[in-house]
Amino acid sequence: MEESDDSIRRAILSGEKDAYKVLVARYSQVVFRVAYRITGNESDAEEAVQEAFLRGYQKLAHFEGRSSMATWFYRIAANCALDIVSRRRPETQGRLAEENDPERGELQLADIKAGPDRLLLSREIEAARQAAMSGLTPTERTAFVLRHMEDRSTEEIAATLNIAPNSAKQAVFRAVQKLRRQLAPLWINT
Amino acid sequence: MKHLNEVELIEHYYEESAGPADCERHLKACAACAKHYAELRRDLDGVKPLATPVRGEDYGQQVWQSIRGSLPVYEKPKPSWIQLWRPLGWAAACALLVAVAFVAGRHWERKQTPSVAVSADPQARQRVVVVVLGDHLDRSERLLVELNHAGSNDMSAMPLRDEARELLANNRLVRQSAIQAGDLNVEASLDRLERLLVELANQPDEPSEVDLNRLRQEMNTDGLLFDIRILRSRVRARPLEPQDAPKATKGVSL
Repeated sequence: MEESDDSIRRAILSGEKDAYKVLVARYSQVVFRVAYRITGNESDAEEAVQEAFLRGYQKLAHFEGRSSMATWFYRIAANCALDIVSRRRPETQGRLAEENDPERGELQLADIKAGPDRLLLSREIEAARQAAMSGLTPTERTAFVLRHMEDRSTEEIAATLNIAPNSAKQAVFRAVQKLRRQLAPLWINT
Repeated sequence: MKHLNEVELIEHYYEESAGPADCERHLKACAACAKHYAELRRDLDGVKPLATPVRGEDYGQQVWQSIRGSLPVYEKPKPSWIQLWRPLGWAAACALLVAVAFVAGRHWERKQTPSVAVSADPQARQRVVVVVLGDHLDRSERLLVELNHAGSNDMSAMPLRDEARELLANNRLVRQSAIQAGDLNVEASLDRLERLLVELANQPDEPSEVDLNRLRQEMNTDGLLFDIRILRSRVRARPLEPQDAPKATKGVSL
């Protein structure tokens, strides 16, 4: 029978450090997924995962059980990913380069008029979308990922980012508007 | 017709619109808004979630190994002195509550029950003492008479013993009053009576005639009966005589 999160938490707080391994194994996949979607690259996502589980361990004594432990780790991971995006944003924001390199935040924008191949075009559109995502502020990006890709409600986004629900809603609206403006030329040319 | 703005269209797309049915109705009726909404859907539907790189089943183990060394061990919480003393605190609080309730109850009882002893009027108090003393002496006299005649026939000593037990409690109170009033002669007579009452109260269920005779001789019940009668007659004759004046009588007085 699977041990409950709460009993594991009590064991850890009683001095059984290794019990935390079970929680890490239980939630690492979910934490990695959200971290990857927010940061947009693997190495940052890996770093966010480690940071999230370290923070989770340190704050375990303050866990009040108002939400499930899965939600709790999810929120910590989203914030860790947001912090990483905030730290790295200035130097990695949508730099144009010869090749697409998400690890370095570099994007190759294709000459749309010159490419008749639809497959190639769709890749280029995807690259353009990534560039547009890079143009969002960290909060807008995180709010949009949580809303659009993780299907979280406005209230959940607000709780995760520790902001007011209206601020969370506005962040999503701004992100959608920016993305649409960035992507509008693509639709005209396709 | 009021058109839907972009914010309302976005809300509708994410199913967070305040009135989704109204929006839907409007989109069916308004070609311009329907066109804008179709473009919005095209744009947002096109933004697909990033394909997350697959992580193996041992990914959790890898993460654990990478952070394990950085994690301190939580110390088992030691019970604080507050926790240790909490039960004692509760016990003390309960004891205090009981004590307060007891004192309050006593205080309330005293207020509710008029006390003869605390009467402010000395004459009234004296009157009460005389009445109580007279009644006590009457009952004691009857007891002594019955005792002096008991045992010669089939009369049981049981009623005497029960009566003696009742009188014993009264006698102590009356004697205490005599001591407080400084009437040593009355106190002496009542003291003798008390010793007899104690003996009677502790007699077996069916005392033999020998026992009763021995009691009568040892306690000199005839002499005690005489003293009681004199006392009773004086109580009746001068019920309100002040206690302060010195008494010339020898033996009993009031």
